[in-house]
Amino acid sequence: MIRAFEGGRPMPEPFDALALDLARFQRAHVPGYARLCEARGVNLGRAERAIEAPAVPADAFKLARVFAFDEADAGVTFRTSGTTLGARGAHSMRNTRSYDAAALAFGRAMLAADLPPGAPVLVIGPSSREAPDSSLAHMCALFARDLGGASSVDPVSAFVRDGAIDVAGLRAHIAALGAGRPALVLATSFALVHLLDAVGAHGTLALPPGSRVMQTGGFKGRSREVSADELRRDVARLFGVATRFVVGEYGMTELSSQFWEATLVDPAARHAVYVEPPWARVVPVDPVSLEPVADGEVGIARIEDLANVDSAFAVQTHDRVRRVNGGFELLGRPAGAPPRGCSIALDEMLSSARVAP
Amino acid sequence: MSRSLDDRVRDVRRLLAAAESVFHARARWAGAIAASTGLSPEGVELGFASLERHATDDELRALVASAGDAPHVHVVLSANVFVAPLRALAVARAAAPRVSVRSSSRDPVLTRALVEAAGDRAIALVDERDVAAVLPPGEGEVHVYGRDETIADVVARLAHRPDVTVRGHGAGLSLAVVTRAAAIESAAELVARDVVLFDQRGCLSPRIVAVEGDRSRARAFAAALHDRLSAWALQVPRGALLPDEDADARRWRDAMAFAGEVLQAKGHTIAVAPAGAPWWLPPPGRHVQVVAQDRLGDLSIPMAPLAPFVVAIGTDDAVRLGEAMGAWPARTEEARGRTRRAIRLSGLGRMQRPAFDGPVDLRWRRA
Repeated sequence: MIRAFEGGRPMPEPFDALALDLARFQRAHVPGYARLCEARGVNLGRAERAIEAPAVPADAFKLARVFAFDEADAGVTFRTSGTTLGARGAHSMRNTRSYDAAALAFGRAMLAADLPPGAPVLVIGPSSREAPDSSLAHMCALFARDLGGASSVDPVSAFVRDGAIDVAGLRAHIAALGAGRPALVLATSFALVHLLDAVGAHGTLALPPGSRVMQTGGFKGRSREVSADELRRDVARLFGVATRFVVGEYGMTELSSQFWEATLVDPAARHAVYVEPPWARVVPVDPVSLEPVADGEVGIARIEDLANVDSAFAVQTHDRVRRVNGGFELLGRPAGAPPRGCSIALDEMLSSARVAP
Repeated sequence: MSRSLDDRVRDVRRLLAAAESVFHARARWAGAIAASTGLSPEGVELGFASLERHATDDELRALVASAGDAPHVHVVLSANVFVAPLRALAVARAAAPRVSVRSSSRDPVLTRALVEAAGDRAIALVDERDVAAVLPPGEGEVHVYGRDETIADVVARLAHRPDVTVRGHGAGLSLAVVTRAAAIESAAELVARDVVLFDQRGCLSPRIVAVEGDRSRARAFAAALHDRLSAWALQVPRGALLPDEDADARRWRDAMAFAGEVLQAKGHTIAVAPAGAPWWLPPPGRHVQVVAQDRLGDLSIPMAPLAPFVVAIGTDDAVRLGEAMGAWPARTEEARGRTRRAIRLSGLGRMQRPAFDGPVDLRWRRA
């Protein structure tokens, strides 16, 4: 599928057929998935559509092994950044070939299709040296290696060291780029907020014309909070690019594919609307029945990712999404109604801003 | 202390008498309580059974000693099980000659009933949401029973009032520990009772049960608990879950089905966690995670991430658990002097009715 996409050819097999093949494979080789199918009373042998196969809750990656091979064969394990109740989600792979192929194919199409070869790539986020088990750091390093040229910063050092942004180094590097070659900046929202704070309200780090900025991840609870629109505007001003050249990316450790805002490749596209590659899709489902909601309704994201060959072809997240023309809107976590009683809920515990004793 | 110990005990006894009177006339309020809490009518009836109406002299002296002393206590009841206002009022009245109380807007019934039945002119129901406006200048206290954001909001509103102390009782959770000495069947029955009360919406409800022994013993306990909860459901059906609770339940159930084993019935779910997995807090609504715990002394390791939120632990052997957990008993005793981060120890089947000796939450967040 990835090769077909890169070659501009139609998909070689229907999505649902491939998805169900994967589901049956995972049912046979991932014990937890077999248990989930049994608990849900699902007979995959009779399933005709991918939606009939249960999605693996993202929480399961924190509780059990989600892979279809012997542990000794795990070549790489990506881990979620947050420690939820002492547990980090783990996504193991035999190798990253499928991950790399999927990330590069769609990332190149959405972010770098018009970039000349060897464009400078600047990573402002966790480096793969500082965060060797971060899938995001891996992706950024991959992009820097594949899309970047000699002017790219060594992706394992990037511009974040010991959790602090090397503003002086970044400024010097940008100044040395010259005006001729557009650059690609890969950054986390968290790092961008800190960079903006460090540079000041009127500071700039102007990039060459045609440059673009990838922005990913949330920053709630980790720094001052700003709205997505405000951050995008500030980032565009900081780097001297149009806002549509600030492109959002949505990914998860539990997935092998990423989703992108299409503003760079489609001037009519809106921010906060993400598009899927042909080998992945996002289905808003009802949080209780887990059935798809009506078109245009808000549901929680069931993400079907055919690049998750050896783990979970479908992952059930808690993120609210809505299908819109051309993609899906990411609406964040549900606010929820006030709970009854004084019993604490898991999410409340995780976000608890406790009153100082 | 401007009032004598006897005066304070007498004032608290008046509230207990009011509770007795409300209990006997409970049919008047049961429907409204069922509607506001989501409990089944049988669940409301069972909840009323845990409304304290009597207390020993020792308990009342302990309650008064724990209450402190203030000229005026304002009680904010935001999120609690429906019988909780009694203890909140008792602690406030023990502390102060003047008490004002703002009941939960969603669940005001029992507070109003108790205040009316008590006929104590020192206790006033107020609707004012601005806590600063309720308390006149001078030393006063606000006791807040609610979510953390409610407590934070009250603290923020009183930032300009250094004369006012805020005591926050936030949301929490409880655990049960079944030791090797316990008979599985009888322990399961007692834990089931603690789970069924208030459909686990109280912070005293056990949501994780650590069973001393190997995984097979944990599974045997889970099966027994499944059996007992099924039996309880015939007498006291689970009430309706809120949509968010239902969604959380689905999410938890699927994660546990993937990771471990799940025993499921219409009104409850029991999950046996895989060895070494982190404790994964179930949502309220009769959902229980059962974990095997080889050594009681190691309990603090898997419990650590939850520890700040643990209000109580129910066990069949508090002495042995206390010994095994080393420093815990000392902390518990200190807690009676309002030390922070203490955990109540209760007997199984008694978790929802701890001694009437002060607030149920001994963590005592003070702001």
